[in-house]
Amino acid sequence: MSLGILKDVARPILGGMGITAKRLRHKKATISYPEQRREQYPRTRWRHALTRYENGLEKCIGCSLCAGACPAKCINVVAAENTDEDRHSPGERYAVRYEINMIRCIFCGYCQEACPTGAIVLRKEFELANYHREDFIYTKEMLLEAKAST
Amino acid sequence: MSDLIGLQTLSEKPTRLDQSQLKLNFSEAAVSQLEEIKSHYPSEKAAILPALWIAQREYGGFLSSEAIAEVAHRLHRAYAEVEGVATFYSMYNTRHKPGKHKLEVCTCLSCHVNGAYRILDLIEKKLGIRPNETTEDGLFTLEEVECLNACDRAVVMQVGDSYYGPLTESLLDTIIADLKSRTESTVIQMADEIVKVHLPESAV
Amino acid sequence: MAAEMMGVDMVTILVDDIELQVPKGELIVESVKRLGIEIPIFCYHPRMKPVGMCRMCLVETGTKQPDGTIRKMPKPQASCTLPASEGLAIYTQTPQIIQDRKGVLEFLLINHPLDCPICDRGGECPLQNNTLFYGPSTSRHIEFKRHAPKAIPLSEHVTLDLERCIQCGRCVRFTEEISGDGQLAFRFRGASMQPSTFALSAFESKFSGNTIEICPVGALTSSQSRFRARPWDLESSAGVCTLCSCGCNVWFDHRIGKLVRVNGRTNNAVNEEWTCDQGKFGHDYYNHNERQASVFIRTSARLESTSWTVGLGEIVTKLKSTGTSAGFLLGPKISNEAGFLACRAATALGSRQVAGIDSRVELGANFEVPADSLLSLEQAKVIVSVGPSLADTLPIVYLRVRKAASQKGAKVISIHSSPTELDEFAFLSLCHKPGTLSLLIQGLDGSLALEEVALQTGVSAQALKEAKTVLEGQGVSFIATNQVAHTEGSAALSDLRRLAKKLEANWNHFCETASGFASLASCSGLGMELQSPESILKKCLSGDIKFLWLVDFDPFELVKDRELVKQALEEVEFLVVQSAIASEASHYASVVLPQSLPAEGGGSFTNLDGQLQNFDAFLPKIGMARADWQIFAELLSRMDLAAGMFSRQDILQMAAKDVPYFKEALTGKQDHQPQPSGAGV
Repeated sequence: MSLGILKDVARPILGGMGITAKRLRHKKATISYPEQRREQYPRTRWRHALTRYENGLEKCIGCSLCAGACPAKCINVVAAENTDEDRHSPGERYAVRYEINMIRCIFCGYCQEACPTGAIVLRKEFELANYHREDFIYTKEMLLEAKAST
Repeated sequence: MSDLIGLQTLSEKPTRLDQSQLKLNFSEAAVSQLEEIKSHYPSEKAAILPALWIAQREYGGFLSSEAIAEVAHRLHRAYAEVEGVATFYSMYNTRHKPGKHKLEVCTCLSCHVNGAYRILDLIEKKLGIRPNETTEDGLFTLEEVECLNACDRAVVMQVGDSYYGPLTESLLDTIIADLKSRTESTVIQMADEIVKVHLPESAV
Repeated sequence: MAAEMMGVDMVTILVDDIELQVPKGELIVESVKRLGIEIPIFCYHPRMKPVGMCRMCLVETGTKQPDGTIRKMPKPQASCTLPASEGLAIYTQTPQIIQDRKGVLEFLLINHPLDCPICDRGGECPLQNNTLFYGPSTSRHIEFKRHAPKAIPLSEHVTLDLERCIQCGRCVRFTEEISGDGQLAFRFRGASMQPSTFALSAFESKFSGNTIEICPVGALTSSQSRFRARPWDLESSAGVCTLCSCGCNVWFDHRIGKLVRVNGRTNNAVNEEWTCDQGKFGHDYYNHNERQASVFIRTSARLESTSWTVGLGEIVTKLKSTGTSAGFLLGPKISNEAGFLACRAATALGSRQVAGIDSRVELGANFEVPADSLLSLEQAKVIVSVGPSLADTLPIVYLRVRKAASQKGAKVISIHSSPTELDEFAFLSLCHKPGTLSLLIQGLDGSLALEEVALQTGVSAQALKEAKTVLEGQGVSFIATNQVAHTEGSAALSDLRRLAKKLEANWNHFCETASGFASLASCSGLGMELQSPESILKKCLSGDIKFLWLVDFDPFELVKDRELVKQALEEVEFLVVQSAIASEASHYASVVLPQSLPAEGGGSFTNLDGQLQNFDAFLPKIGMARADWQIFAELLSRMDLAAGMFSRQDILQMAAKDVPYFKEALTGKQDHQPQPSGAGV
């Protein structure tokens, strides 16, 4: 009877402990987030950004192709005409409003693929949690990169 | 290219065309010539080309918008239609006002191989103008044209209704000296000659 | 096929080895559509003469030899200029043709800027579509492209981008053949050929908007809806233009509940596919920033916002005491249902005071349906147009008259006191001195000597004589509107009618407003006469009318005598202003009711030749606004004057009981169904 307990209970436990003991020698796989952060893979697709040219002009021309390509229909673009006094992008047209609903977005990256000027890109920033639904509608001001300081 | 469009700057906007402001400048002789030519054709549309020649003569060798408008008005055609016809043909001077004499140098194949551009450079140096420009004294305008159908005389140049060729430097000098001595404008003279072709001998 | 029945010669052609019977002379580009085969096109347009400018529609052709084999021609031909003839063989899918199409597109794209992402046409562009289906996938062109200034504002409606032009000539031909103003022409030649107005002056045409729609690229774009939305963001809903009585079928393109633009919708019985500039660009009042959004009621000299219950309750109380002296002014754009219900209310209340712009009381003639429809007008041999410019008052009728004259050889006689667009192609234009139309008519019907008439009217006796001869022929149609009465007096208009009847000609007294036909029909069905707005306003002054209801009627805009309007509105005891946009009249209002517009509330509209067209709502209503017919339906049920009106259909059924016209329209003629959008042909 007691021999049975030894065989059926103690041996598997010891065996399991053995594996644990063996793993102690390995490098740890977990990190202590958020104090520590992991390097994202190069092709990671998270938060969108609207980029600028080196001269500070916006790359976005408000063509709405991203909205057309979006399978989740979460992009809204309203375009307007550039004037010489009020120039946002090279050419005739720029986006006066650019909104992405981040709750709807599935981060497929089709918008980035559709963009003819490479304005919209998906970057690696992934901590998008927030408290209110309205806060998930990212406006142009939130998405647009800051001008490079010269 | 914006000189082709007719707008100097992009901010310039098309203005309203006031047809009541149209000034008619045809001389009485020109009007009667036009009436004569009109009577040759079943419709007034057919008389657009000779009417434009009359206008080119009356307006000093240059078909300005006013000249085209007058032709359209006299032939009861749409202004735009007549302008389309006038700008289509290179012998009507619609792009810029020519000087007293227009030197049209052929630069097509035969003339090209015989050194048309060398001749062109020579004229440019002699007169101090580039193609499509007019000398400051308003005497000469230089133009590069397509085949003049006189390849046997390449390099050929047309001034008014005369062909000169094959061109050499000495020939050029004599032509220019000869043109300088003339009082009448070869541009207007040619327009007049062409109008006369359309008229019966009794009317000339 | 109608052509077979009319005895047109039929020929047998072979299309991709399929035998096909087509009328002799039909263009091959049209014939192949019978088999469902598509030939790509740019310059060809079914309503204009073919020119073969773009070379996109190339096909291989051959002829049947006596031994039954087919001998191909060595070179391809443009199918838009190729008429069908016996034994003609067409090949649309051969490797040669596929190669040729690639070549043509590559050539057209040499100088095309490919700025599709910012082009308003991008997404519905025939050049994009044809390139995708038939074009080369890459370009071999490495040289510089032609450059020209972009976005030249040709007029307040049309923006020209010369770089994008592929020189198909559709716009140029439109102004020559359809609208007839000849505003556009090609300037220069070769690569620098460009469509433009004379000396780039403003593009002044009453139909310029159509050139935007028929442009196969983005060379001509709308200045009004420029950059407002991309085509894939837009939703198109079928609608009817209510700005005049023509009743043009249009597409309302809207985005997130906002109207963006209006395009023509094909209906051969009305507007073919054209729109006038007024209709195409005049619908921006949908986005007016002073849209009426709530009910207001006057409490001690101030208008205060209130609910429909209170607002309508106040009206009902007032109507119960002053019902017999209530007057209704029907606006030019109200629906058939509202027009009928207002007339019905007036009869039920016993006041019988209804007025509209298209009144006929002073003319000594009751309402009669025009003898011609827009379609039959095209078949007329002689068309007599009387009064001010048709292109201003009834633009689509003008296009029909022009088509009849230029394509079917109708003789147009234009009678007017100041030059009109019709003079350009009129057989005779009789320009008389103002106020002498009656005399002219007496001359034409033979009761006055022509010399005498000529002397007094300023029209030459020769012209009058010629006109008289022409009018005595067959197939004469008269066109007139109330404008004749406004400028020449109502007696002149009734004289004209008498002349038409005497000559046994078709008499067309067309309405000018979208609500005109239905309100006239409703009034005559209910045994009333539609009065003129002035007479109702005068009755307000004399105290015969104590309660006045403006049904989307802005008297300050629609009645000339401003002083009369002011006094009448001050004098009247109770004024209801029902409107979509805040108007000056609301300063005098006792109750202001917010009304929605047709695209928001729906309604049926009858055009000038009596076609009933349904217009279903697709835009959201603004604030508390309700459709015009909903307001009257609720009023009538609150007053227990009528019941059971839950939808527009119920109202129309009710109207059919009282008004013969509605009965006929609901049972007889079918409503014209929307067809797929013509954009991008």
